[in-house]
Amino acid sequence: MASDEKPVCRGDWHPLDSSRSVPSLLVERDGQVRAVAQDGTELASSVFLTLDISPRVGSIPRRIGFADGSLFETTDNAAIDTLQRVHGRKRAGIIHRLERFHPRLVIFVLAVFLLSGLVYRYALPVLVEVAVAVTPPVVPRLMSISTLETLDRTVLSETKLDEAKRRAISDGFARIALNSDHGSSAYTLNFRKGGTIGPNAFALPDGTLIITDELVDLAGGDTEMLIGVLAHEIGHVELEHSLRQIYRAAGMAGLIMLIAGDVGDSVEDLLVQGGGLLALSYSRDAEAAADRHSVELMQKAGYDPTAIARFFEIIEAKLGDTSATNILSTHPGTPERRKAILDYEAQLREKPAQN
Amino acid sequence: MSTLDTAPVPAASQEFHRLSFTGNAAEYFGIWIVNILLTIVTLGIYSAWAKVRRNRYFYGNTVLLGRAFEYHAKGKQILIGRLIVLGYLVVYNIVLAVLPIAGLLLFLVVLCFFPWLIMRGLRFSARVTSYRNVRFDFVGRMGGAFVAFMAGPVIAVLSLGLLAPLASRWMYRYLANNLRYGGRAFAADPKLGPIYKTWFFSALIIVLGLLIIAVAALANLSLIMALINNPDALPPGFQASMFVLGVIAYLTVLLSFGIAALFYRAGVRNIAWSATRFDGRHALKSDLSRFRYVWIALSNVAVTVLTLGLMRPWAAVRMARYVNEHTAIRFDGDVGEILAATGQEGTAVGAEFMEFEGFDFGF
Repeated sequence: MASDEKPVCRGDWHPLDSSRSVPSLLVERDGQVRAVAQDGTELASSVFLTLDISPRVGSIPRRIGFADGSLFETTDNAAIDTLQRVHGRKRAGIIHRLERFHPRLVIFVLAVFLLSGLVYRYALPVLVEVAVAVTPPVVPRLMSISTLETLDRTVLSETKLDEAKRRAISDGFARIALNSDHGSSAYTLNFRKGGTIGPNAFALPDGTLIITDELVDLAGGDTEMLIGVLAHEIGHVELEHSLRQIYRAAGMAGLIMLIAGDVGDSVEDLLVQGGGLLALSYSRDAEAAADRHSVELMQKAGYDPTAIARFFEIIEAKLGDTSATNILSTHPGTPERRKAILDYEAQLREKPAQN
Repeated sequence: MSTLDTAPVPAASQEFHRLSFTGNAAEYFGIWIVNILLTIVTLGIYSAWAKVRRNRYFYGNTVLLGRAFEYHAKGKQILIGRLIVLGYLVVYNIVLAVLPIAGLLLFLVVLCFFPWLIMRGLRFSARVTSYRNVRFDFVGRMGGAFVAFMAGPVIAVLSLGLLAPLASRWMYRYLANNLRYGGRAFAADPKLGPIYKTWFFSALIIVLGLLIIAVAALANLSLIMALINNPDALPPGFQASMFVLGVIAYLTVLLSFGIAALFYRAGVRNIAWSATRFDGRHALKSDLSRFRYVWIALSNVAVTVLTLGLMRPWAAVRMARYVNEHTAIRFDGDVGEILAATGQEGTAVGAEFMEFEGFDFGF
């Protein structure tokens, strides 16, 4: 009988759900795997197929569950691997073999960097487009209402502009809004005193636009230029830039959490912040796209298509902003933008001429 | 090999038995990188199994009295839990698109179910954990989860952090008083006084950070005033240096809040764990050095970032080792008998756990 007995390894045996443990031996005898105490008493036995063997992870102890619910624990991972192989489980432990510290891990590291890059470059934009497509209109509406309310409570205050000036701007705005894709009913223009945010114009995702008194003052009577700036903001709304940016940030955070799993709390925060920096470079593209949109829209409405370029001239002259684009800015360098607008206008002019 | 061969249980003693961590960075590196690689290749599906392997590695290397803890969750359970959450989000968005009002209702439902989800998540985590073949369990209710994880943080924020110690106390009481091992209860009653003491030091760190910024701002007051009065007057060079100053101020705020939070976390852990008893008489202890804890956490982040994440496994192992080595338990009486007796009552938990409850938010 002892002739076909094969000892597998030493370990500890637990009865079902008990912390009591018995130092014992795992042996194979008569086609059964058995846990045997040191004095030879058999504690449990099962055929190999019914054993519940936990997969190997590093060098943590292995659990072998018997059919009766009792458990054999051992640190002798190699012996359990052999036992599985003998019984034809060739694929058992394949993940563990991949995980072992080995030069091949260098290839894995490179593959992870490459694949993450691909996900960021190709998969993320697709996800963002899908999300934008399925977002119901009520979401940007709610977002905008709460944003405007917050701004009104904190920084913005009532406009001090005179009626005539407002009327002139509103009329011009109505003209370009009529020529926009969404039509004039999609947009409402609000006048506010900007306070700490100074000369500015911005669009909320539902088509609510805000222009500050300070910006109107800066324009110094050049209403057409202000219309150009508003056309730029309409561009942001039509191209759904704010939604895209939100989804992009959320998508980045989601991917970071899913893929990285264990990067640690603080590193995760840093990654999300770094994602924000990357989103800035994306917002530079968005600015350029909105600039082009302004040129097109102004042309359609019969205004000077390059009116917004005059705005950049003013910024350059008055604020001394001649800096080139850098990674920390949300907007491209001003001279660059002005040149891009003039180039695009020239391009648009040439096209119909060729036809 | 040494952790389990004989697994002797020491006889009665009055000293604290410390946990240890037997894993190492090289071994974990392989597990970690393969987890990430397979998660990407399988479009995220493997992340459930990755979590199981990661947790099994960390639990399995957490050793008390020569025996390791075990993590029993299966990848499939966690995947199903994640799919349900994902499915809900998809349904939620579709309903929102068709019927905005119904969508808002669904959102309210989620809000109400949040304590329930937290409670189930905690129960799941406890039930898939075992030590010496005896499972943990968590018997907390929804109401307690609401107080500990929703009301607490809200009042902490609303009181600008002044009531944060109260929130910490609620949370630790909910966690510890509902934890069971082999049917025996844990009980904790961390006192507010000591928590406020550690909170006070954390608040001091934040004040110090803000003070540094205030001093820097005062030193440049004339410049700032000039900027506010007449933004155009400053040459671009000055504006750039103001920008750099702003960035530094931002980092200082971030760093002082970060350090304060870590300092507080370690301090409260010490207080709460050391105020916890198992089965009415066995004392737990945590004696993290707050400075050392902050140092390990911060240098871990720095090393991880500087190596593009590649040293993260080393950092994780380093932190696990430090925390484990400063966590201990003192058994009142013969340890072998205590654990054997606990084991007798462990049956009910073990049989029930396999029911599906893979909601798992990684608490």
